[in-house]
Amino acid sequence: MNGTKTTLNNPLVKQLPTATVFTNKKFEVIYASDKFFSDFSFDTNKTFGKPINELFTTISEDWEKKLYNYLSDETHEGNINYSLNSASGSKWYKWTCAAWQNETNETIGLIIHFEDITEKKLKDEETDQLQSLLDAMCMISKIGVWDYDMINDKLVCCDVVREIYGVSKDYEFSFDNAIASYKDGYSRNTISMQVHETMSKGKTWDEKLQFTTAKGEEVWVQVAGMPTYLDGKIVGVKGILQNIEKQVQTENKTKENELLLRTLIDNLPLNVFIKDTESRKILVNKSECDYMGVDSPDDLLGKSDFDLFHEEIASISRAEDLHVMETLIPMLGKETINITKDGRQATFLTSKIPLTGNNGKAQGLVGISMDISDLKQKEQELRDLINVTSQQNKKLVNFAHIVSHNLRSHTANFSMLLDFLTNEKNEEEKIQIVKMLTQASDNLLETLENLNEVVAINSNVNLERKPIRLNQRIVSVKRNLKEFLVNNNAKIVNSISEHTTVKVIPSYIDSILMNFITNAVKYRHPDRQPIINLSATSENGFIVLSIEDNGLGIDLKKYGEKLFGMYKTFHDHSDSRGIGLYITKNQIEAMNGKVTVASEVGLGTTFKIYFNEQN
Amino acid sequence: MNKIESICIIDDDPITVFGIQKMLSLVVDCDDIAVYRNGKLAIEGIKKRIEENKKAPQVIFLDINMPIMDGWQFLDEFITLDLMNKVRVNIITSSIDTFDLQNWENFKKKTEHTITYNNKPIRKEHVAEITKIA
Repeated sequence: MNGTKTTLNNPLVKQLPTATVFTNKKFEVIYASDKFFSDFSFDTNKTFGKPINELFTTISEDWEKKLYNYLSDETHEGNINYSLNSASGSKWYKWTCAAWQNETNETIGLIIHFEDITEKKLKDEETDQLQSLLDAMCMISKIGVWDYDMINDKLVCCDVVREIYGVSKDYEFSFDNAIASYKDGYSRNTISMQVHETMSKGKTWDEKLQFTTAKGEEVWVQVAGMPTYLDGKIVGVKGILQNIEKQVQTENKTKENELLLRTLIDNLPLNVFIKDTESRKILVNKSECDYMGVDSPDDLLGKSDFDLFHEEIASISRAEDLHVMETLIPMLGKETINITKDGRQATFLTSKIPLTGNNGKAQGLVGISMDISDLKQKEQELRDLINVTSQQNKKLVNFAHIVSHNLRSHTANFSMLLDFLTNEKNEEEKIQIVKMLTQASDNLLETLENLNEVVAINSNVNLERKPIRLNQRIVSVKRNLKEFLVNNNAKIVNSISEHTTVKVIPSYIDSILMNFITNAVKYRHPDRQPIINLSATSENGFIVLSIEDNGLGIDLKKYGEKLFGMYKTFHDHSDSRGIGLYITKNQIEAMNGKVTVASEVGLGTTFKIYFNEQN
Repeated sequence: MNKIESICIIDDDPITVFGIQKMLSLVVDCDDIAVYRNGKLAIEGIKKRIEENKKAPQVIFLDINMPIMDGWQFLDEFITLDLMNKVRVNIITSSIDTFDLQNWENFKKKTEHTITYNNKPIRKEHVAEITKIA
């Protein structure tokens, strides 16, 4: 012990289990517990007699003032102080001070009791940090938290929850009010039931519900809850609350848009489909389903063209798909022919547009097809009609020329002969000219008769066609031509079936048969017996009558164009008038038929007459 | 009267042939007038003349619409013949078909021979005018 110290450490104080010092009024250490020395690592020899503020260097001035207050304090109650001890790292101590009084209740110093509260202090700090983190999280995410204490029936909510409810920061929540804010019916029933389930069974839940704010606004919220346990028992429910009105609205809007798009796609009078890179359908609309004859898109999804269409068609389609996906160039408005597995054929106007992914490569394609089969049909009908019309027109012009030419040539002759007659003096010559005038007159009459016949054929296109057995007519014509055939030693070989029937105008068929048969005999080869072969076949809606002879033949290169023309003759025969084939052709065409010819000079000629089976 | 060595009439209508012959007898002096009923007979006749070392006819009256070989087909062959003299071909027709007029224009360009197009009826004065050496 150093001599300056008059007081020895009190043994009672020395043994105190906590760090404790007794100071005089100058706050010089009089007694101290061993724990005090060990806790603060003070040297026992240098501690006694030293003022407390010299021992603890990091004490604030305000602390020293406080100690004075304790000395003068009449009550014996101590107060709390914090201090930082620098000797053994950062530590927090709680100082409990009380006045030290002698037997006469006179204050002779201060008793200071040191309690290490570092751990508590750190925990508090940690809690504060967590709390502020939670607050920040709530504020940023706009997700509120709430906590219901079942035992004390107390509901605590964060500011975000208050914001959602639309109440002030000092508003006191009650469990019943909080539940009552949910919309009557499904929402309120659900929240009540879920909270009850948590309290009774510890259930965790998450719901989307409708909710009315304090301002009367109806919003959608996401609310979730879970139990709070204490010693294994459920003591409360805690959870989150989030205003999801915007998300729900967006979601609804998206759903609406989706519905709109779907309705649009489904009701477009076009076949719409989306295919993946393997050309499998991943979306089809109603029109496509209707066309494919299925009730549900499920019957088509995942299937490729090879599953649905004729193989050849599928190959073409797949090649198109690949081209579009490789080049990323859309195929627009291409006319395609489609044949389904069951053989239905349709013409489409198809577009294929590549669908590109984030990597810039095609992930599939959108296809749009319009069924233009009806249009094509109409187009064909129109084309046929134009053909008929232009043919008729051609015939008309041709006929006009024939009429004009024939009449003009006769009148020119009349005019010339009359001119001669007027100026002729010679009586014999006059008689000669009159003879020629008579001849010209006869020619004109004959021409008019012929033209009349042609006009009759072309103006009677509406004469009814009747089914007639071809052989019956052939027999009849043969009977009429019997003498002519016998005289020429001609032979007719008929291989037409007894049942072959043609739809014709009865008077025309006789004339046609008569004409071809007499022509075949008339233009027979001088070196052989004329033989005429008759046969019939059926071909694309026509009965084709073939009349084949072994006669002179016609040089079609030279005369083909004119063969069926009026007043065209090709053989130097005195009885060829050049009118027969022209009339025959007109009669055949008046029955919607046609006639073709094949011939080789010196061998013979074959005419084919096409009788239309339709009306 | 104009003197022509040889004339040829190609027409299947005897009345027209009679008419042309009669008018020719009034307007020209010609001892050699040949008549053919169609183009084929005419081309054969002309070829035969050449074989016999005779000159081709100096003037030809040609009808268009004829059997076997018509006027145009005749001209097709005629212009290929290797003749010593230029020939005047007078087409005599009642046709007013533009197709025929077009054909005439085409033939005029294709040949050295003179080709005229004359619509019926024709008069004596007109025959006199077109019956010349080309």
